[in-house]
Amino acid sequence: MVSDDNALKKLGSGFTRVLLAIAVVLVVLEFIVHRHGEVALEDIPLFPAIYGFLAFVLIVYAGRALRLVIMRREDFYDD
Amino acid sequence: MTSAMISTVSFQLDALPPGLVMIVAAIALPWIPHVARQIWMLAAIALSASSLMAGAGVHAVWHVLGHDLLIYRSDALTFPFALIFHIAAALNVIYSWHDRKWSEHMPSLAYAGAAIAAVHAGDLITLFFWWEATAITSVFLILAAGTDRARSAAMRYLLVQVASGVLLLAGAAVLASAGNGIGFDKFDFDGPGAAGVWMIFIAFGIKAAFPFLNGWLQDAYPEATATGTVALSAFTTKLAIYALARGFPGTDMLIWIGALMTALPVFFAVIENDLRRVLAFSLNNQLGFMVVAVGIGTPLALNGAVAHAFVHIIYKALLFMSMGAVLHRVGTIKASALGGLYKHMPFTMVCCIIGAMSISAFPLFSGFVAKSLTMSALGDTGIVWAYLVLLFASAGVLEHSGIKIPYFAFFAHNTSYEKTTFAEGEAPVGMRIAMGIAALLCVGIGVYPDPLYSILPYEIDYHPYDASHVVGQMQLLIFATLAFVALIRFGLYPPEIPSVVLNSDWFYRRLAPAVGRPVLAGVMMVWKSFIKVVTGYCDAIWALIERVMHAPITGPTVPGRAVMVQTALLALILAIGYAFAP
Repeated sequence: MVSDDNALKKLGSGFTRVLLAIAVVLVVLEFIVHRHGEVALEDIPLFPAIYGFLAFVLIVYAGRALRLVIMRREDFYDD
Repeated sequence: MTSAMISTVSFQLDALPPGLVMIVAAIALPWIPHVARQIWMLAAIALSASSLMAGAGVHAVWHVLGHDLLIYRSDALTFPFALIFHIAAALNVIYSWHDRKWSEHMPSLAYAGAAIAAVHAGDLITLFFWWEATAITSVFLILAAGTDRARSAAMRYLLVQVASGVLLLAGAAVLASAGNGIGFDKFDFDGPGAAGVWMIFIAFGIKAAFPFLNGWLQDAYPEATATGTVALSAFTTKLAIYALARGFPGTDMLIWIGALMTALPVFFAVIENDLRRVLAFSLNNQLGFMVVAVGIGTPLALNGAVAHAFVHIIYKALLFMSMGAVLHRVGTIKASALGGLYKHMPFTMVCCIIGAMSISAFPLFSGFVAKSLTMSALGDTGIVWAYLVLLFASAGVLEHSGIKIPYFAFFAHNTSYEKTTFAEGEAPVGMRIAMGIAALLCVGIGVYPDPLYSILPYEIDYHPYDASHVVGQMQLLIFATLAFVALIRFGLYPPEIPSVVLNSDWFYRRLAPAVGRPVLAGVMMVWKSFIKVVTGYCDAIWALIERVMHAPITGPTVPGRAVMVQTALLALILAIGYAFAP
């Protein structure tokens, strides 16, 4: 069980490393490729990266807040 | 009269409408043994698909009472939908190969057949017929789960679906009486019979799961069986997208509606614990992209809607298949009870991740080549707010379908399962083959989109793989994934909690009964006192009649009853005499 947890942890940190490496490459590419978006706003340097990051965080936090309003116990509809 | 009627009923038949043969074949299923039955179903699907060779045109007309029912019309818009519906039907047969009972195969095959026939309806009456047929056949896939929850969900589902059909028929009647005929083509909100157009718009909107008309989708789909949900995910909603693309292309309002559809389900999906329900919210969000594309209505956008529907059916089926495989083996699909399955179900995990990357629109996966069309078309319109909403929703798709589904099922934390759970391997062979084919299609279309582009309704010269576009999309996805990693690592990602998330079905499951019951009680009270008064009068009259009937009127030998009968007969003769007097 302990080794299983370690395996999962290793998988997680490996994934994080790969992700960070890709992110670095993408930031470098941003200044090599002449990236242009579908709308003018997208042409701001690193716009998709920033927008994606913030959107994700917003969704998760909005979801947490939403739990207070629309989350019910599992047997809510069972009567 | 009769001969005139008969002369108006005639067929002009070059080919049977595709899908019909599948429905006929479904009737024989109970009498065919297992395995042979699966081959029989595949043969029926192949036979149905072969009738698509008829090409564009009207191939079967039924002249009834002065109306032309175009029961088989095909063109550039019907073909891609017909093709993907056949592929989905075949995948369902393979996926459910292990199921030895006929009871689920029959509605599944008939449902697919009805959806395919509906796509080829050239008039509103034929469309209505198949529209309702999809509802009536598919409800058995929910009932097949056999639980009380499923039974109630199935009844709610059927009510909503039939309501959509009734609206469609009412709309058709209004249009026909306004002199528009019953043809199923682009509708005009400003023309005669506008009320009918609105009814049809809402009928389509119900099946397309517009905001606040969507409750049935998240309510019913996750209650079906492991295999049933896969079948359900493909047809009804994409039939609605087809219907919208046929009837309402370029309707501005759809851009608003679609944008809301992409964004709203995202917040529900993030906190939903049932992973198949998460996928149902995700399905709703994907429909939003297609609805926006229909609303834009340019050739590029309509191509986007069709391409998106096409690839979506495959990757959504793949995601539902992978979750179905988990449900089949583990017996639950609650995120709070899963985790660590990557060791036990590695093939399912890989397929799920391919589905997840496709729906998230990673370059080289099918979602990317389809969604790019819509995003480009939206960029061309200059409606920036809608563009930003869809971009936001793209991060949302990544959150719930791209990350949450595979993460909580296959990774997250180790969960101990019963030793016997994986005794028979990770999933039945049929399930694995179907998932494998779907995964190959996701990658294949993503890497080489030209065959998909060649069957879209409009000719296009579109290249999704330019460096700028790829870098932009990768930035969005990778940095959003980094946000996930950061939230998990800092313990900020909300844990999965066994719970129910309220959705628009709450309005008719809780609000309507809560308001309705007291109102109904009041109405019943008034009704009962009214009935009491009426029965009081009736009793009095009856007592009078009784007295008359039992009282001898003309002496002891002629009872009152006989006099009553004679009087009644005389009154009748008198009435007839007056009515027919010259």
